[in-house]
Amino acid sequence: MTTTPTAPAATPAARARALLRSPILLSILGALLLGSVMLLGAGGNPIEAYAAMVDGAFGSTQWRNTLIVAVPVVGMALAVAVPLRAGVVNLGGEGQIVLGGITAAVVAATVDLPMPLSLVAALSAGALAGGLLGTIPAVLENRLGVPLLVSSLLLSYPVVALASYVVRFPLRDPGTGLPQSRVFEEAYRMPVLFGIGLSAVVLAVVIALVVQVDSRTPFGYEVRLTGHNRRFTEYAGVDVPRMVTRLMFTGGGIAGLIGAMVVTSVPYRYIDGALVVPGYTWTGLLAALLARANPLGAVAAGVFFAALQVGGFGMERETEVPRELSSILQATVIVILAATVAATARRARTRKDTAVSERPSSPEGGAVRTRTGTTSAGEVDS
Amino acid sequence: MTPRKAEPSAESGGDPAGEPRVELAGIVKRFGDVVANDAADLRLATGEIHALVGENGAGKSTLMSVLYGLIAPDEGEIRVAGKPVRFRSPVEAVEAGMGMVHQAFRLFPSMTVAENVVYRAETRGTAGLLDRRAAVRAVQDLSERYGLRVDPRARIRNLSVGVLQRVEILKALHRDAQVLILDEPTAVLTPQETRLLFDVLRGLRDSGRTVVIVTHKLGEVLELSDNVTVLRDGRTVARLVTAETTGAEIARHMTGRAVDLDGHYVPGTPAAAVLTVEGLTVGPPTGRPVVDDVSLTVRAGEIVGIAGVAGNGQLELLEAIAGLRPSRSGSVRVGGTGLHGFSAGRRREAGIAYIPEDRAATGSAVAASVADNLAVGFHRRSPLRRGWRLDRSAVRDHARRIIEHFDIKVSTPAVAAGTLSGGNLQKLVVGREMAHDAPVLLVDQPTRGVDIGAIENIHGRLRAYRDAGHAVLLASAELSELMALADRVLVMFGGRVVADLDRADATEENVGLAMAGIPASTGAPGTGS
Repeated sequence: MTTTPTAPAATPAARARALLRSPILLSILGALLLGSVMLLGAGGNPIEAYAAMVDGAFGSTQWRNTLIVAVPVVGMALAVAVPLRAGVVNLGGEGQIVLGGITAAVVAATVDLPMPLSLVAALSAGALAGGLLGTIPAVLENRLGVPLLVSSLLLSYPVVALASYVVRFPLRDPGTGLPQSRVFEEAYRMPVLFGIGLSAVVLAVVIALVVQVDSRTPFGYEVRLTGHNRRFTEYAGVDVPRMVTRLMFTGGGIAGLIGAMVVTSVPYRYIDGALVVPGYTWTGLLAALLARANPLGAVAAGVFFAALQVGGFGMERETEVPRELSSILQATVIVILAATVAATARRARTRKDTAVSERPSSPEGGAVRTRTGTTSAGEVDS
Repeated sequence: MTPRKAEPSAESGGDPAGEPRVELAGIVKRFGDVVANDAADLRLATGEIHALVGENGAGKSTLMSVLYGLIAPDEGEIRVAGKPVRFRSPVEAVEAGMGMVHQAFRLFPSMTVAENVVYRAETRGTAGLLDRRAAVRAVQDLSERYGLRVDPRARIRNLSVGVLQRVEILKALHRDAQVLILDEPTAVLTPQETRLLFDVLRGLRDSGRTVVIVTHKLGEVLELSDNVTVLRDGRTVARLVTAETTGAEIARHMTGRAVDLDGHYVPGTPAAAVLTVEGLTVGPPTGRPVVDDVSLTVRAGEIVGIAGVAGNGQLELLEAIAGLRPSRSGSVRVGGTGLHGFSAGRRREAGIAYIPEDRAATGSAVAASVADNLAVGFHRRSPLRRGWRLDRSAVRDHARRIIEHFDIKVSTPAVAAGTLSGGNLQKLVVGREMAHDAPVLLVDQPTRGVDIGAIENIHGRLRAYRDAGHAVLLASAELSELMALADRVLVMFGGRVVADLDRADATEENVGLAMAGIPASTGAPGTGS
């Protein structure tokens, strides 16, 4: 929707060229290439391995597994991408998904409601809990100047521990020795329609809402401009702290909703660690970064990473190649992407330094400058 | 390999007229589709001050970057003392006798003057360690010889901008620069500091060095230089002897058309007070305030100018009025409304528009489209907002109207704002803020680094805005700008208003002295004290 500075022309040829030069495609191709080299070095056949991976992810029945994994990964990608669109880094996804999950589990275990109401209650409670948890770091930053990036990350640890306690003691299923809740009543189980879980449908609605707000509303417009230049929107009179709070509520809310939906799907119980161990939060974070906070891009990247993971299992079954290759590919994509983005930013900077240094220095800090520029994480979005 | 040139001393500096010391011939440099230099020529003689002038985007900085080895030209030749050379890096250019004083100084803030000056050209003592005493002595020698007064042991971060510039010049001289390039050297100096700098540069010329000043200020060109080279659209369009030309002729070459250089100040017709600021103090809760007890009034139909060297509280004053910076005490009123506790957004609704000092860092989002940049502030009202949606076509129409009305040169509103030239980006900000039609317009350095055509345009707009019955508060470091626009001039120094001058009293001398913190003998006492 937004025009990028590198692609002012919109002819199909120019667009194709821009896509070829896009760091995202470059990093994916680079990762596949590096993976091939490793496979060859280990005596494997890259084409066979990749084919098995694609079949394992999108084969006749396999795509359902991919979808099941993709729902939490894509959801967590959105939980990061929504605030990141304004340059706000939400690292608290883990706490938010876990709190959403445990809240839904508590509702399921304690509230007796008929079928549609029961799920509505569990999912809304989970989303609300995640959203409120997300607003805490926002308020801390707005009021007290505590860096949101740090506080959102650190808040996760007590929350995860609290959920652990709840499922080990009050909610524990006495019938097993494991730290897990009882299986929920029928009313608290997400139905499956035509082989697609209701979770995927709910998530699709959330994606549609996020995309609409992002691309069509005045609020989405303010958010995007804030991501480009926060000083500018503050100068223009936008209440950026309030925006940050809303975005963190939304991001946390999506994470909480995902937690609630995972818990109310197979095996219909809260298992300690089930929301943490698969690393949904961090895979989602990578997807959001890969897409540079573009919501649809984050969805695509989330599906891509989910397919890599699920395909990895297929590959391990079909060939001798261990599924760790998936993790390697995933990591390599990000490393190459970060490197190309940083290199582009540096090139742009040196060109600005030499060719168009016609802007006078600002009198405060800018007057004295050394040649050692620093690249902050924020520049990924530049 | 290394084009180390034969050292011509001051006495033997009489190069034959046909053989310049340094020559750039037919330089072509492209950045993608943009041709920054298109057959640009420059000839520099020994013992001259040479002005390189041109509008923004004319290719001055690119040409100087070529001469200093920062970028390699696509075509063309550099000749030093008649011999073709190639600089693959600034290191080689420095070895060939080039020296550059950048606009943004490149110094280590935590180190001393002497350490900065000798950096990469150190005298090593025993065991290869830095000989600090030799460094101090070298700096003292140089500063005495050329009248560049600096304490060699002072830390860079404690020095003022004028002194930092001297350090940069010393750095170049320490490497024995025979050709000294200064990029917009007076942009951040007071008139007094400027005069000092000019004396130093004349001394350097008289000792046989070549001084190149890159500038767009015609007054300085006429006052200081011996020869002028004019660039336009990347091409050398004129080579003039300063004594034989006029400002109007140079301006004509720069723009390719006749330019009216006189500021033609037209007095406004002030009516009732619109903006009233009383006892405004801004700064950390304890410690020295950056804006100290400032009171001022701007009436409808009036432009009040704020003079002052950058960094004396003008920026903070305007930001506090606009609500972007909390104030410690004092009040701001627009019309009858007190703005205490109002956010920036509510202050805008109360009737304040603001053209900020830094158009790229504050006044726009350069990565976003021109249309998006122009919609800001209008996007929550009809017609841009329709129901819950932002109407993309209304956003485009809104952008087209401002682009046309303010004569912004851009192919389509969909391109990124960052692709506009400085002057056009400034017109974008000016156009958007004026489109609000707010009773109060705050303006900070509206023509910094923009070309002559855009300056004319923006000055005309500001006058028209005033004449439409709005109150304008204009901060500018350019005296000529204040002379061309302001109906009254306040001078800020150290956060205070130290002079409040009627148009008639606001002579360059009076304002200049007050800018340097020396109380003017004439003129009313400052309102603030």
